Amino acid sequence: MTTLTAEAIDVPADPVALYERSLEERWGDGAPIIPPTDDRVLACLAATPYPPDHVLGALAPQYGVATVELVAINAVMAGCEPAAFPFVLAALEAMLVPEWNAFGLTTTTSSVFAMLLVNGPSRDELGIDYRAGCMGGAAGRGSMTIGRAVSLALRNIGGQRAGETSRTVFGQPARFGLCFGEWEERSPWPSLAVRRGFAPTDDVVTVHGGKGTFPLADIHNDDPRDLLYLIAKSIAFPLSNMFLSANAQNGEVVVAINPMWAERFGRAFPVIDDLQAFLWEHAWQPIDLWPVSNQEILRTKERVDPDGKVRLVAAPEQIVPFVCGGLGSLHAVALPSFGESQLQSAAVQRH
Amino acid sequence: MRGTITIRRPTAPPPERRAAPAYTLDAPVAGRRIGLRTDGAWRSWVLIAGEWEKRLRDEGAGVVCVETNAQVGDPGRADRRNIATWSDEIDAGLVGLGTCGSCTSFTVHDAVTLESHGKPAVAVVTAEFEMHARNMARFLGHGDLKVLVLPYPLEARPDDELRAIAAEYYPAAMALLGAKR
Repeated sequence: MTTLTAEAIDVPADPVALYERSLEERWGDGAPIIPPTDDRVLACLAATPYPPDHVLGALAPQYGVATVELVAINAVMAGCEPAAFPFVLAALEAMLVPEWNAFGLTTTTSSVFAMLLVNGPSRDELGIDYRAGCMGGAAGRGSMTIGRAVSLALRNIGGQRAGETSRTVFGQPARFGLCFGEWEERSPWPSLAVRRGFAPTDDVVTVHGGKGTFPLADIHNDDPRDLLYLIAKSIAFPLSNMFLSANAQNGEVVVAINPMWAERFGRAFPVIDDLQAFLWEHAWQPIDLWPVSNQEILRTKERVDPDGKVRLVAAPEQIVPFVCGGLGSLHAVALPSFGESQLQSAAVQRH
Repeated sequence: MRGTITIRRPTAPPPERRAAPAYTLDAPVAGRRIGLRTDGAWRSWVLIAGEWEKRLRDEGAGVVCVETNAQVGDPGRADRRNIATWSDEIDAGLVGLGTCGSCTSFTVHDAVTLESHGKPAVAVVTAEFEMHARNMARFLGHGDLKVLVLPYPLEARPDDELRAIAAEYYPAAMALLGAKR
C-alpha cells in the first residue's frame, strides 16, 4: 500500500473558502485549485513507475527537493488527470538537466519560462492542443493543466516567486503554464522528438526556455523562400537576447509554423536540415543596424563576421521549426530564446 | 457548503542549510594575488573593475583577472572551469557584477566557488539586487558570503561618475576582503 508523507492538513470543503485559503498560504498561482486529497494524489502516483519518495532532483531557485509525491500534489492542484501526470514528471526531468539552466532561468529579470512542446501518440487522448488556438484558447485539459502543474511545482517546491526569488521584470502569460503539441500528421518533416532521437511511438516533452510568443504574419509572399527569408529576418530582431551574449552557441529559437505554410515550405525543402540551413543563412542583421557604441560591443564580443553580418545563432539546428496551429495560412509564431539555455527533451515514463 | 476535507501540503520543506565558512584576508594586499572577476555584460563593471585593478596594483597586489561570458553549454562549462582554476591561483577575489537576476545568481555562484576553495570572496552587486544575492548565497549554503552593494542603476552613467563610484567604494571592498590598510 502506498503511503503519503507530505503533511496532511484540514481545509474548508467549500471551494471558495479553499481557494481563499490557498491564496493566504501562497500555495497557488492566483487561480482556483483542485484539492489534493489522498485519493487524487494516489491516482496520479499510480500512473507512474516511481514510488512516492522517488526524488527527481532539487528545484531551483531554493533547491526544494522534488519528490514524485510532492509533484503529484501540485499536479492535482493544477487539475491534471492521472494519465497526464507522467508528462509533468518528464517536463521537470528535462528542466533539471543543467544545460536547461534552471538556476539562471528561475531567477532572471527576463520574462523567460518553461514552454512545453509535446510529441507523441497521446496528444489527442489527453487534450494536448496542437491545432487552432494551441498556445491559448483551445482549452484542452492536457495543455492547460500539464503546464500549470510545472509552474506550480516551480513555485511550491522550487520557491520561484516573482518579485522575490525570481527577479522577472514583466513575467509573461506562459508563467501560468504553456504546453502544446506538434501537429505531426500535418508536418512534412519528422517530428521534433524524432529529430531529437526519440521513436515516433514515444510520448516526449521538450522544454524550451522561451521569452514569449512573438507573432509573425504575411499575405504578400507566395514564394516559400521569400517568406522564409522574411521569417529569418524577423526572428533576428536587434534586441533579441541572442545578440546580448558573447557567444551565439547557446539557445534555440523555436518557430511555430502553421500546417499550410509547412506544406509550402516542405515542397521547397523536403529535408528539414535544408530548411534550417536556409533560415540560418538569412537570420542575421548588418552591423551598421546598431548604434555605434553597440557596434563596438558586438565587435568586442566577436559577434561580427568579416563581411559585417551579426548572426542570430551559431548553427542551423538552433532554429527549430515546430508545426502546429490552425489552418489560417498567414501566421507563424516565434518563441525567442533566453539564450543561456538549451532545449531538453524527456520521454514520458508510465506505470 | 460546510465541513472540512484533508489535503496534502504542496510546498517543499526548506532544505537544511549549514552556512559554509567565510574567509577574510587579514593581511595587506601587497604581495598577494587578488582576483577580479568580470563578465561580458556590464560596461559599468568593466570600468569599475579596471579602476580597482589600478588601485590594487598601486598597493602592491598582483591582480589576476578572469572574464565570464556564458552560463551553459561548452562556453559555460569553460567559464566555470576557468573560475575553478582562478580560485586556485589567487589569495582573495572580488566577483561581479550582479545587476540583473541571472547575472546576480552567477556572480554569487562564482563567489561561492571561490569561497569553497577556502579563499576570501566578495560578491559585488547593485542595491536593487542585494536581497537576491543574499538569498542566492543562502540557497547555495553560503549565507555568510560577503556582499558589496554598489548604487543602482550603474548603467547609463557617464564614465566620470563611474570612476567616482569606483573610488568611493574601493575602501569598502577592501574592508570586506579583510585587507589590512
